[in-house]
Amino acid sequence: MISLAAAPIALAAFLASTVEAVEAFTIVLAVSVVRGPRPAAIGSLAALALLVAVVAIFGPLIGRIPIHALQLVVGVLLLLFGLGWLRKAILRAGGALPLNDESAAFAKQSQALEAGASEAAADWIAGLAAFKAVLLEGTEVVFIVLAVGAGPGLLLPAAVGAACACLAVLALGLLIRKPLARVPENALKFAVGTLLSGFGLFWTAEGFQAPFPFGDWAILALVAAFGVFGLAMTAYVRFLMARAPAWT
Amino acid sequence: MDVIRAFGATLWKMFAADLVLTLGALASIVVLGVLTSARAVPPGDIPLMLAAMVFGVFVTAINLSVVREIRKRSKR
Repeated sequence: MISLAAAPIALAAFLASTVEAVEAFTIVLAVSVVRGPRPAAIGSLAALALLVAVVAIFGPLIGRIPIHALQLVVGVLLLLFGLGWLRKAILRAGGALPLNDESAAFAKQSQALEAGASEAAADWIAGLAAFKAVLLEGTEVVFIVLAVGAGPGLLLPAAVGAACACLAVLALGLLIRKPLARVPENALKFAVGTLLSGFGLFWTAEGFQAPFPFGDWAILALVAAFGVFGLAMTAYVRFLMARAPAWT
Repeated sequence: MDVIRAFGATLWKMFAADLVLTLGALASIVVLGVLTSARAVPPGDIPLMLAAMVFGVFVTAINLSVVREIRKRSKR
């Protein structure tokens, strides 16, 4: 179980965390460029400390939940989370929703920080913006790690995957000092959506004590099924959107 | 206060951005849970029924999202 599931778990955590880390980095970078590195660092570190405290308090409680109840809860959460990401990625790839633009997000955040405020208040607002960004995106990372790592022995690969993603984004960001607009965010969201949905469906069935045939191999089949299905739905949405002007 | 509001918005964004998808998937799981506990379905059929229901809900949610976006664009 561990050997087969650890690699996709680490990959799912890595890809999902990359998306969240890029979003947080854009705002922290905007804070750093507009108000200097101090409020950006203080806000980010305060948020990280809060996240660590939350994980330290609530993490051990997970071990006390009966295994089938945990599988069901985690499965349902993963399924909802994964389907949500997959839906958004399909709609964006199909042209129904605009693609996420980190450069635009950076410009918007910079503009908001430059808007008239006294010097002291501006530093406070900038620090709070960095705090909020790291806390909110970090919460999603923590949630992803706890959810995908909820199986026996899977928390470590999930945590390693997420940590690698955060460090990679930070290193890349410090190197180029620009918003990471070239990260293929929608493709990542699509991949993560298929992974989380596949795992979610598998764990939900396990939670019902009615496992899929072929044991853990079913995970790969489910992820592949969601991938093929997602690509087909993307083509379908593209087809609909191309003909939309004729219907309106 | 601002942080709490943003936190609430994030949780909302995580699970309730598309209520049809969220509620539909949850409803499928609840229905299957009821059928399972009533032993109304052979256990071997449950995973496949679950998969079929989830894919069905997903297709419905995508279609509704597309219709919503087309309507939005036509109003502009």
